[in-house]
Amino acid sequence: MSAESRPAVAEAVVVPVRSGGRSRVTTAVLTYVVAVALAAAVSALFILAMRGDVALAFRTILSSSLGSVAGIAQTLNKISPLLLGSMAVMLARQGGFFNIGVDGQMYAGAIVATGLAFAVGGALPLVLMLPLALLAGFAGGAALGAVPGALRARWGVNEIFVTVMLNFIAYYLTEWVATGPWNDPITGEAITRVLPESATLPMLLPAAGAHAGVLIALVMSAAVAVLLGRTLLGYEIRTVGDNPRAATLGGVRLGRITLVTLALSGALAGLAGAIEVVGYHNRLILGLTPGYGAMAILIAVLGRMHPIGVAVASALVAVLMVGADSLQRSVKLPASAGAVFQAIVVLCVLLVEARAARRARG
Amino acid sequence: MAERVHMSGIGKRFGETVALAGVDFTAARGEIHGLLGENGAGKTTLMNVLSGLYRADRGQIAIDGVAAAISAPSDALRHGIGMVHQHVELIPTFSALENVLLGREGGRLWLRPERHREDIEALAARFGLALDLDVEVRRLAVGVQQKVEILRSLYRGVGILILDEPTTMLTPQEVDTLFGTLRAMADQGLTVVFITHKIREILANCDRVTVMRGGLQVATLARAEMDEGRLIELMIGERLQSSSPIAQASSGDVVLDVRDLAVQGERGRPVLADCTFRVGAGEVVGVAGVAGNGQRELADALAGALRPAGGRILLGGRDVTAASVRTRIAAGLVVIPEDRIADGLLPGLSVAENLVLGLHPFAFGGGLSFDRGRARALAREAIAEYAIRARSEDAMAVELSGGNIQKVLVARAMAQARAVGGRLLVATNPTRGLDVRATEFVRRRCLAFAEAGGGVLLFSEDLDELRQLCHRIVVMFRGAIVADFRRERFDPYAIGRLMAGAANPAAP
Repeated sequence: MSAESRPAVAEAVVVPVRSGGRSRVTTAVLTYVVAVALAAAVSALFILAMRGDVALAFRTILSSSLGSVAGIAQTLNKISPLLLGSMAVMLARQGGFFNIGVDGQMYAGAIVATGLAFAVGGALPLVLMLPLALLAGFAGGAALGAVPGALRARWGVNEIFVTVMLNFIAYYLTEWVATGPWNDPITGEAITRVLPESATLPMLLPAAGAHAGVLIALVMSAAVAVLLGRTLLGYEIRTVGDNPRAATLGGVRLGRITLVTLALSGALAGLAGAIEVVGYHNRLILGLTPGYGAMAILIAVLGRMHPIGVAVASALVAVLMVGADSLQRSVKLPASAGAVFQAIVVLCVLLVEARAARRARG
Repeated sequence: MAERVHMSGIGKRFGETVALAGVDFTAARGEIHGLLGENGAGKTTLMNVLSGLYRADRGQIAIDGVAAAISAPSDALRHGIGMVHQHVELIPTFSALENVLLGREGGRLWLRPERHREDIEALAARFGLALDLDVEVRRLAVGVQQKVEILRSLYRGVGILILDEPTTMLTPQEVDTLFGTLRAMADQGLTVVFITHKIREILANCDRVTVMRGGLQVATLARAEMDEGRLIELMIGERLQSSSPIAQASSGDVVLDVRDLAVQGERGRPVLADCTFRVGAGEVVGVAGVAGNGQRELADALAGALRPAGGRILLGGRDVTAASVRTRIAAGLVVIPEDRIADGLLPGLSVAENLVLGLHPFAFGGGLSFDRGRARALAREAIAEYAIRARSEDAMAVELSGGNIQKVLVARAMAQARAVGGRLLVATNPTRGLDVRATEFVRRRCLAFAEAGGGVLLFSEDLDELRQLCHRIVVMFRGAIVADFRRERFDPYAIGRLMAGAANPAAP
């Protein structure tokens, strides 16, 4: 007790952050420009090492993801799960929690939305069915997020383990419903039958195949920003994330905030899962999320756990993901090159940020 | 007197904060040299430069007349310089002997503590550092842990020993013992540098004193030249009447009635047992005790952050034993927590968001929205009233200095009290780390709380502070209230004996 030493903490807190000259926002943006330039340089070296054409590779990434309406549509469709997933991670993180269960929560939302559509979709018009399906996704994700929330609030169980384990449960549950009760026998794969017409998300760019999911994602992101910044609940979530003991002494109910935060985080992911079902696949498939959960964590880190930053980072990663798919064809790079680029970007941003933080400390 | 340490023109900046602005400092062989100044005057920083923890931006250091390049603690140790820091830096699960040997056995594969036992025992005897070397350090009282640290420095061959605020956590008896040891060291030719902001300790024990203010050395006085008024004036730059006149306690109502309160610690060991006491309206009650005797648990149980295993807490006659923190705040119980960084600060949030914590359920008209404009307006008032030095109410709290963080926490508690009608203030070390003026200010605030009819329960490590401010002092030892002194019976030595565990002669 008395032998513990706190001077390191005290010192880190007492030393003032340099604030003169540039504003905090300018500094943050500048940091990112440097980081992206660095990432481009390192990626170029990587492409050279693979004996690829650097200029062609970069041009391919941009032209395939942003150079055509079809490309833009693909990019927009990717933004929706990435943005909602990373908002889920960010919201949890603001409360001091790690939600590693975005994938599982997406499946949970997708299962509930699909089930509801099969159960009542034939009888309801689109104006009723579609909101219901989205709400079902939200509720399904919330239910799966509430599990680690309740365990953490009641017994202090680490939410990382619980969310990771629930990923497996949700995945195999999806496999079961997609191969069993709801299976589409024609495909012979873990894919369900097509949803009723009424459970279909309208198109944003009908010809190019972009659904309206990105709009929902943007609205929800704005809602999360308002929740965190302008409501008492959001304020309490942030106090718990910043210093749970101080929050407790300030009358914040730790258990309740833990449960609500993780449930809301799961709900955002569940909504993403429902959008994938009603917007993109029109049915539930086992490969619904190709690791969006892991990408969401990277995006939340890239976006500095700030709503605007997370939105920008989601768009950036969506471009990279869509662009990387076409690298294989044009530059003959392996498909995994896309993942390497994403990793390079993340590492460069973290590196430049760490350097900037260190300099600010003097 | 042979000069051992000569520092000249030492400058040190942290970011844009100038901590040391060209300081000269000398210390001689065989003296106890006091280093006096308010918090933030640069005392500790200067000594951290001498002991190699910080590297100075400019200036020279000479040891025994020879220029010395000190850029790491190991360099300082080579020159025989050692420092005992404010918080004990020992490994709690190691024995005293193992802690003394720490870092000495470098390079060898096997620890052979027994080889050194005789040497260490001889050294301890020479300087009056009586202690049992085989006890795990965490089982030792703070005063004894400090002896282990001093012994460790001595065993490394230190000839220049720096102690940073060493008396903060000690009972008066332990303080006397400590100065006995330091005098023995000086008599045997060592140089002792003693950092403090307590003028009384300087006057009683130091051969010379160097006074610092605002990162500058303002005077070095020999023993004959020291007097209290002059030292205060040098330290704060002006005369300031430092008396906090205590108002008569208004008799009558009991605001806090604690009965047989018990709290279980880890492994079911009671950390609080049969705690019974009262605080009256308009009364300031001090809780004295060596740190770790249940004060933190008592404060937590009162605040509602810790569930008691037994007993009752009545606030203004109402049973709040099982009430939530929020309910207690609404009922008028406000807290200034012990550890401002661990218990109070929201480092990543703004100053405004820090100030409204605890007030937030009441400050925004009961709605769901967090009214930023209102929070910022409240914060601007508090910043002005408490002279909090922040860039603005939107600055991140992590940018504040320790003293300003403390002011935020005091302002927070007082704002809650104002909003709900404060009945009881539970304050733990509310003036720690504040300069003289801010200390006065906070003390007046606490007294004003009592004068307005509230009760104040004041936990403090500073017995002088308790004697100055309180109507009554209760003493805690091993989780129980062992004595209750009225103001006219305050005697630091009697209180100190009880803090150290002596039986209470006055007890029935």
